[in-house]
Amino acid sequence: MTAPLLQVTDLRTSFFTSRGEVQAVRGVSFELRPGEILGIVGESGSGKSVTCMSMLGLLKSSGRVVGGKALFEGRDLLALDDRELRELGGNDIGMIFQDPMTSLNPTLTVGEQVIETILRHRNISRAAARQRAIELFELVRIPSAAKRLRSYPHEFSGGMRQRVMIAIALSCDPKLLIADEPTTALDVTIQRQILALLKELQSRLGMAVILITHDLGVIAETADRVLVMYGGMVMEEAPVKALFAWPSHPYTRGLLASIPDLRDDTHHRLTPIPGSPPDMRRPPAGCPFAPRCPHAMAQCLAALPPVYEVEPAHGARCWLHHAEAPRVAGINQQVAA
Amino acid sequence: MSETPLIELRDLTKHFTLSGDLLGRNRPLLRAVDGVSLSIKRGETLGLVGESGCGKSTLARTLIRLFQPTSGQMLFDGKDIAELDERELRPFRRRMQMIFQDPYASLNGRMTVRALIAEPLEIASIGTETSRRARVDELLDRVGLNPDHATRFPHEFSGGQRQRIGIARAIALNPELVICDEPISALDVSIQAQVVNMLEDLQAKLGLTYLFITHDLSMVRHISDRIGVMYLGKIVEIAPNDALYRAPAHPYTQALLASIPVADPEARRDATPMRGEIPTAIDIPSGCRFRTRCPFATDLCAAAEPPLTDLGGGHFAACHYADKVMTKEMQAA
Repeated sequence: MTAPLLQVTDLRTSFFTSRGEVQAVRGVSFELRPGEILGIVGESGSGKSVTCMSMLGLLKSSGRVVGGKALFEGRDLLALDDRELRELGGNDIGMIFQDPMTSLNPTLTVGEQVIETILRHRNISRAAARQRAIELFELVRIPSAAKRLRSYPHEFSGGMRQRVMIAIALSCDPKLLIADEPTTALDVTIQRQILALLKELQSRLGMAVILITHDLGVIAETADRVLVMYGGMVMEEAPVKALFAWPSHPYTRGLLASIPDLRDDTHHRLTPIPGSPPDMRRPPAGCPFAPRCPHAMAQCLAALPPVYEVEPAHGARCWLHHAEAPRVAGINQQVAA
Repeated sequence: MSETPLIELRDLTKHFTLSGDLLGRNRPLLRAVDGVSLSIKRGETLGLVGESGCGKSTLARTLIRLFQPTSGQMLFDGKDIAELDERELRPFRRRMQMIFQDPYASLNGRMTVRALIAEPLEIASIGTETSRRARVDELLDRVGLNPDHATRFPHEFSGGQRQRIGIARAIALNPELVICDEPISALDVSIQAQVVNMLEDLQAKLGLTYLFITHDLSMVRHISDRIGVMYLGKIVEIAPNDALYRAPAHPYTQALLASIPVADPEARRDATPMRGEIPTAIDIPSGCRFRTRCPFATDLCAAAEPPLTDLGGGHFAACHYADKVMTKEMQAA
């Protein structure tokens, strides 16, 4: 077994607002192996983005990491100061976001911005940096790369801007690329282009990717392994095929039942998850999903369940996996095919 | 047999003249809606899909006359409303309502939920103070909110609940047509299904007709009876929903459907993504407007614009090779 590239243990992050402490991340642990695509899926407020922002020191000013470790090749990211993090952020960890427009400077050509990033992290000449920028544009399939370096961000479409951001993120050959909803703002045909590009780059460059998304379809088509987050916690963790073949947490099952199955011609009614997500200023004492869970028991409201291993490498934080829990078809009991 | 459709658009166009250079010269023409003909039957849900910039939202806003159409006819219940002035339009406005993507932006944050839902009734001078209160309570119940929600303000609600408030406002005047413009795009997955189920229930109870605009190709199949696919201001294909998904007859529809990420890792399709991006509606290609991205394009496609052709069973497509595309006989050159 290869050593993990990233090992996060009991990460806790809160936002201290005028209306109280918002416990956005409440004890998240996971590992990422080199070259792996880890999908993190969850709804707004689940803590999926905050988890990654915490590691890179990119929290808004009211946000603070209140506990845990995030070892990247053995160095604790949470213990680094801003300068060290910036250095690491530019070299070994690249990041792309949902809206590339907000991350690009509208007054500079995209070429300037790519070249500047390269020069900040590499001790090479301007001409060499320009050559590297052209190579990067070609790598992310921006047509007429040399010419496009002279364009301004507004002259690019959303899909092309996201390619520029990927080029910048890749400029220093990162070992890890964090992609936070990279295709959410894009049209479906462009989304497919960008996802195909990310997978191609990941296999060509051998980097690891953390892909944050709310879209189970994107997860199914892209990730190797998946974390399902809810209420600031990981509710289920599994290799991608196992997650969809045997979703073992009622929340994961609820998400899957909420989306229409394209291959199903019967148009049966959707099964929504009732209620709304918890208020993280007053997170529930027990399982955060219990108030919306169709199988909730007294125990679920009283105490937070541990993570049970339902099969090798597949864990679920749910009391139904306790040895003495009642059997629920599909969750802790195989459904006859 | 032939009942008057609730909506019938005949060659509808909406063009915008952009500002051009500093002296106002060379003002480009943006052909957002560029000759759309379609009809919607009473009680039907017509889905309208397409990428951003295809003109689907402009079409919706033109239909409720937020925009003055450039040309063409818009028949509402048999009467052309394209040229009506504001006074003549008033009786029609009540009969068509719109639900927006972001309920927060469309609700006045200083008004209570009761005031927000009562507002359309007041503007239309319907009922007394007392009867309006009763109507608001009834509407709250219809959309799954409690009477004690009435005294609260929009910011106290979640996105899904705010969309319910927006829907209650939209149905307050008993409209016949409700245009849903990306009504669930801003909502979380678990909440989307709540809102979609509610829209289906309301349609069944109130006999509503929906024009459902979205970029979510999975949800649109679930909710629609028929689906129109727009590309650069035109309908390129329109068909009953199952027919469209089973046998798409336009290469653009095929590419769109092949792009949908499917929530099943066993079904991973490493299909080649469609090349290029949607051109601007200022510079629409000659002939078939999709030809610059089409894997099957020939000289004919540059020379002649394909008409929307009847393929039988209510299935229409605007492609010179629709028959062959549909049967997958077309091979990329």
